[in-house]
Amino acid sequence: MKKLSKQLKLMSWFTLVLILAVTVLFSTAIVNHARMETNLDKYMPHNHPAFIYSDQAEEWFNIKDGILIAIENKESIFNPLTLSKIKEISLDLLSMDEFEEIDIQSLYTADNIIGTEDGLDVTSFYDEVPETAQELALLRKNVIENDMVYRRLISEDETVALIVAAMDDEYFTDEFYHRILNFAHSFESPAEAIYVAGRPIVEGTMGLLGPADMKRMVPIVLIVIALVLYVLLRRTSATVSIMITVFISTIWAFGLMAALKIPIYAVSTMIPVMLIAIGVAYGVYFYQYLQQYFHNNPESELIIALKSVIKRLSVPLFMAAFTTIIGFMSLLTSQVYPIKYFGIFTSFGIFTTFGLALWFLPAWVILFGYRAQNISSKTSKKTAWNIRLNAENITQILINKKRTVFIITAVVVALSIYGISKVWINSSFLANFEKESDIVLTDKFVNSKFGGTSTLNVILESEEYDAFKQPEALTLIDEMQYETMKLSRVGNSFSLADYLKRMNKVMNSNDDEFYTIPETSDMVAQYLLLYEMSGDPENLLKIINYDYNRTNITFQLKGDDSQTINEALTEIKKFEKPLSDMGISINYAGSGYKALVFTDLILDGQIKSILVSLILVLLLLTFMFKSIKAGLIGSTPIAITALISFGVMGVLNIPLSTTTALLSSIAIGIGIDYAIHFLQNYRMNLNTETNQLDAIKTTMLHTGKAITFNAVVVISGFLVLLFSVFPPNRTLGALVSMNMFTSFLGTLTLLMILVFGFRVFIKNNSTKAEIKE
Amino acid sequence: MKTFFLSLTAVGLISIFTLKPASAQLTGKEIMEKVYNMPSGDDMQGELVMTLENNRGEQRIRNLKQFSMDNGKVEKKIMFFLAPADVKNTSFMNWSYADGREDDQWIYLPALKRIKRISSDGKSDYFMGSDFTYDDLGDRLPDKDNHKLLKEEAVNGHICYVIESTPKTSGYMYSKTITWVMKENFLGIKREFYDPKRNLLKTLTIRKFDKISGIWTILETEMNNVQKKHKTLMKFTNVQYNQGLKDNWFTERTMTTGL
Repeated sequence: MKKLSKQLKLMSWFTLVLILAVTVLFSTAIVNHARMETNLDKYMPHNHPAFIYSDQAEEWFNIKDGILIAIENKESIFNPLTLSKIKEISLDLLSMDEFEEIDIQSLYTADNIIGTEDGLDVTSFYDEVPETAQELALLRKNVIENDMVYRRLISEDETVALIVAAMDDEYFTDEFYHRILNFAHSFESPAEAIYVAGRPIVEGTMGLLGPADMKRMVPIVLIVIALVLYVLLRRTSATVSIMITVFISTIWAFGLMAALKIPIYAVSTMIPVMLIAIGVAYGVYFYQYLQQYFHNNPESELIIALKSVIKRLSVPLFMAAFTTIIGFMSLLTSQVYPIKYFGIFTSFGIFTTFGLALWFLPAWVILFGYRAQNISSKTSKKTAWNIRLNAENITQILINKKRTVFIITAVVVALSIYGISKVWINSSFLANFEKESDIVLTDKFVNSKFGGTSTLNVILESEEYDAFKQPEALTLIDEMQYETMKLSRVGNSFSLADYLKRMNKVMNSNDDEFYTIPETSDMVAQYLLLYEMSGDPENLLKIINYDYNRTNITFQLKGDDSQTINEALTEIKKFEKPLSDMGISINYAGSGYKALVFTDLILDGQIKSILVSLILVLLLLTFMFKSIKAGLIGSTPIAITALISFGVMGVLNIPLSTTTALLSSIAIGIGIDYAIHFLQNYRMNLNTETNQLDAIKTTMLHTGKAITFNAVVVISGFLVLLFSVFPPNRTLGALVSMNMFTSFLGTLTLLMILVFGFRVFIKNNSTKAEIKE
Repeated sequence: MKTFFLSLTAVGLISIFTLKPASAQLTGKEIMEKVYNMPSGDDMQGELVMTLENNRGEQRIRNLKQFSMDNGKVEKKIMFFLAPADVKNTSFMNWSYADGREDDQWIYLPALKRIKRISSDGKSDYFMGSDFTYDDLGDRLPDKDNHKLLKEEAVNGHICYVIESTPKTSGYMYSKTITWVMKENFLGIKREFYDPKRNLLKTLTIRKFDKISGIWTILETEMNNVQKKHKTLMKFTNVQYNQGLKDNWFTERTMTTGL
């Protein structure tokens, strides 16, 4: 016996060392190869037709997202100091390697084309900063009369000037993000406030803030879960070992990711949280089973107890892990690569945790011992007796009041379906921030003073050369702009029509009567030629191609959310018909539009993956328990959990976004574990207990306790995320907690009643349980 | 702006210079002054095909007819568009003064049937959407730059002086230019333009030159913007010198009557 024990200990040490070695290996991979990907553009599926087109159009017209630097002087920006700052900022930006001349737009860089009695004047607004009152008044007059600048670069109330710096996403790094913010804010003074907005800034902040917040929150989650585990299990060794399993599985998951040279995306930062939530459960089950075994067989030897526990636990644990993995693997149906990776590596982590629960934890117990005496004390026995009594009472009450349970369930389901009908998708990046955060306030401020911080590009194409020299086509474009700009969330628009109207006015002595589309295509051609000769032809390249049969119309929107973009699209699409009558096709481009398509893809992928995983789980349960009844009933709690999850989002007005969409996977992944354990144990108890009622009561007592433990631990851990500074992480915490709670409650009430009521595992009227194995 | 329109004889470095054999001690400044101070004929006319090509290989082709004269005090030019059809007969006139006054410029748009004066302060503006700025086309005074003779080097079999020119005052659109001037005739054959970040921006290459009526004339030249991957090709044909164009022919009336 002693020899065996020695051999066992040796094997256990070997197991521990092996696991440690692999962990060290993966840690080295992390240290050497882990790389954070903050560029949100990398999320986009670039082989999707909408993205291919948009990328192409961005290249055609040099469409880039702009960093907006706003300088506010509450008196008026028309003073030497503010004007010199505008000049200095423009020149400094120009000297940065990230920008080309064409990328910087400001009052300093803009051309002022003005019509005079006998001619045309092309000048800069100012070169040397105007000093005298007279010079300042002239500059002010020039600005107000030029609507290519007024309300675009200078606000209507003349207190804010905008400097737009367009840039390629590739150049956007953490370093640049901090550099540009510091640079802009270095121009602040008591008289002048500086605001920095624009999509690159929002993306940059989001790419940095989310993961940074996760990094801060995960340790706290771990500590809270460890504390709760300790309080519930009352065992230091068990708590430590369980925490080690989730810790190791996280390292392995990220280690594999690093070894495969796959960068860490923002969504990947949720992997530890997932692994903690799911992984802790496996450890809890292990110790629960062990404790229960010693409770029934107090004199048993440890090795026998372990063997029995492993034997009893491996099938349900394997099934639990397998079904959870299916839930995450269903994310492979997504077209979004970071989400696919999220599914793959979380699955790998779960598989690791499963393995660790059956190999590492027994080895740990062999090496560090297990005290079985806890529950044999008198008080514990009394408590245990109370728990048993309570469990039995609750079971009895639930079975008696099953009608009430069904009614409540029906009401909740109905409410959820109503809620789901109100779920909306949000592609907004800005919605990820606090309403009072700097970035949101800045965006709001810039939106209140200018056309909008978000852009939508509408690309028109025709087979005919010179199609957009035709006054009919230009008039239609002009009408489209006019109609769309009636929407309150559309602040401005810009097209070839604007250039031509301005040229027409300028060439007709600045007469407002002539702020119209020129009458003939020849006149259009000559104005364009004139503009090229006198203005900056590169500005034209941003809106029209060489053959004049492809043009770019830019709409400025006051929000980057789906509602705003869709509203504008609806209006614009009314022009599809008349345009196509002219042989002109319409397409869309730009980051805002891509984000919209992207969220649609996420939603589409999510619905697919939920359906796929629900069906697979149903099949698996049916196969595992060889009963379609068990399969259907076992799937009920997770189906309801998913319904409630989306329903609550609808009712509470939480939009579906990248983060929230992923939660359905965890809902299914975790929820199914509870059901599997319940069914498995119930089937076993049917074998040992004398009747169905006793079997269900015993299951409620033991498995119910394990499930409750698990739910309490994980929910308390995730509630910590409610204190996160990054709203999506808060939503994640709240929804994971809620999903866990729903699954827990659904399993111990509805599932139990259904299992009992529909006599699952029981053949006909016989009271004897039917065990097939 | 010194010149608004392309001048065949004074396309910056394209100037021709006939001199007695250069002494070995010529400085960079002296070489550039010789290039600049090229005498041209009394008047000139010719046809120009300007081809703009972007990075996708799309082209814009424009045909023009150009007339110019120089009486020592003022240089007058008129350009008529021949093609594309929708800008045919659009014309430009430019008077450039030797005393350094701003140029006078007019444009005639046939669709508008009106002549407009144009004034512009944009020296770095690009000429008709091409890769040439007005400064590239015009004759920037050698006095505005410091010139340094770097070395001598053969380009396409021509021994050239290689001269680096850096602006004396800051704020110019080029941080420097490097010019290859053929030793045999003081004709520039190549020039590189560097942006304010000191990166190569554009390369100008002379593809074809010939002596017409005793005057060295550039017949084909290409400007390649390597950063924007955009280029402009100019081809001159039917170049004629000293056809007796009178001062009083360069009028608004001539602009409107067309060719």
